[in-house]
Amino acid sequence: MTSRAVAPLAFGLVALAAWQAIVTILHVPEYLLPAPTAIVATVDRALVVSFAVTFIEALAGFLIASLLAFAIATLFVHFRTLEDGLFPIAIAIKTTPIVAIAPLLVIWLGTGWWSKIVAAILICFFPVLVNTVKGLKAADLEYRELFETLGASRAQEFRKLRIPYCLPYLFSALKISSSLAVIGAIVGEFVGATQGLGYLIIISSAHLETATLFSAIIAAAFAGIAMFYAIGFTERRLIFWSSGETE
Amino acid sequence: MNAIVLAERLEAAPLASSRPILSIQDLNVRFGGVVAIEKLTLTVWRGEFVSLLGPSGCGKSTLLKAIARLVEPTGGRITRPYADLRVGFMFQKPLLLPWRTTLDNVLLPVEIQRGGNTADAAERHSALRMLDLVRLSGFADSYPHQLSGGMQQRAALARALMCDPDVLLLDEPFGALDEMTREVLNEEMIRIWQSKQTRLSTVLMVTHSIPEAVTMSDRVVVLSARPARMIEDVPVACAHPRAPEDAETGAIIRRIRAMVRSAR
Repeated sequence: MTSRAVAPLAFGLVALAAWQAIVTILHVPEYLLPAPTAIVATVDRALVVSFAVTFIEALAGFLIASLLAFAIATLFVHFRTLEDGLFPIAIAIKTTPIVAIAPLLVIWLGTGWWSKIVAAILICFFPVLVNTVKGLKAADLEYRELFETLGASRAQEFRKLRIPYCLPYLFSALKISSSLAVIGAIVGEFVGATQGLGYLIIISSAHLETATLFSAIIAAAFAGIAMFYAIGFTERRLIFWSSGETE
Repeated sequence: MNAIVLAERLEAAPLASSRPILSIQDLNVRFGGVVAIEKLTLTVWRGEFVSLLGPSGCGKSTLLKAIARLVEPTGGRITRPYADLRVGFMFQKPLLLPWRTTLDNVLLPVEIQRGGNTADAAERHSALRMLDLVRLSGFADSYPHQLSGGMQQRAALARALMCDPDVLLLDEPFGALDEMTREVLNEEMIRIWQSKQTRLSTVLMVTHSIPEAVTMSDRVVVLSARPARMIEDVPVACAHPRAPEDAETGAIIRRIRAMVRSAR
């Protein structure tokens, strides 16, 4: 693990040094391409607060969407007509670009937290729903026959077979939607906000404060990466029996 | 209780006076237009080890599933004269839950019957006893992916025995294993059927191997290709342990092989 991290780290440092050298030697103006040191200099309390705001919005949207999607997937698996009736609506929500819906969310929910959280929910919901429905149906017929011969009730079959069977499917969806959640929150902030990384990106680009813009972009990437790895870490602890080949 | 069961079993040959444990009359099973079983009549007596022998896809697994009530017959009747008869089922695949340890897999039937989540000390004790019976004592805390195919199937057998069945239905239980492991497990199966440690008295096993059927069973029910019909009901009276090389066992194997060939 540590030895595998050495090579990318070394390449990264070399790239940063080259970047710094080129900007300094060629006197590239800071509004075009700031040097790494100039970007680091913009890291202040405001950036950390912006990061925290966006991260909390994304996390809240991700958690609410995941719980909601799991609950609805459970209903879909139990009631076929519900799935037939509601799935097209879920697809319609999925195919509408979040950028197109965001202004409406700001009109309805204001420029506060909720318009961003709902944007994150809308973007996270679908992958979790689809994979959970698939996972809950994935248990082989033979396993279901085994439970039938043991006289298991539908609830027992669901709890002791279908849910654990679904976990690898659920987690691969959570990994996708965790990074999507950050996109949802930032898009919400673009449209109307008074804080957060999306707000910082809009403001700093308008003022040509490119170094701040860079640090905001890097912070946004870091938020997505942090969520992704947190899910991956939980997955490896929880689903020790699967080699993670389910998608 | 166990002593009585054993005494009944020692009578070996099905007596006209003893009660059948399973009685199948004119059974028909069809799936859509496909007739899987046609007019099959079979009686299984308490204490017997019966093999259902037939070519792949002949409907013998369907017959076993119909007995286990996994498949609804389209005609005829399957009666179980004993009201409290307990039936265990063992599939061709081990079907262990990969997120459970061997012990927790064996405890699954008890959890389901009782409706709870965790087993009490007595239940754990009897699960450990079952693991002991199938010679998996040291592997209670192992996960299925840490076990070999043969060991997984032993665990599946322990789980089936955990329901304390009178009758065990085996659907080609060791068919997916290599020949050597399979032979060992067949012997183990006979040992467990003969042992006094469970209330298991009767075994009904589906197989497509003639030597396996003859070396293991008291009776070999030879079935035709689909739709499954009974070609002949062959009693095997030789004493255990048997080997296909034994004169008497070998003669029966050859007889059944000839029978299957001429039926084709």
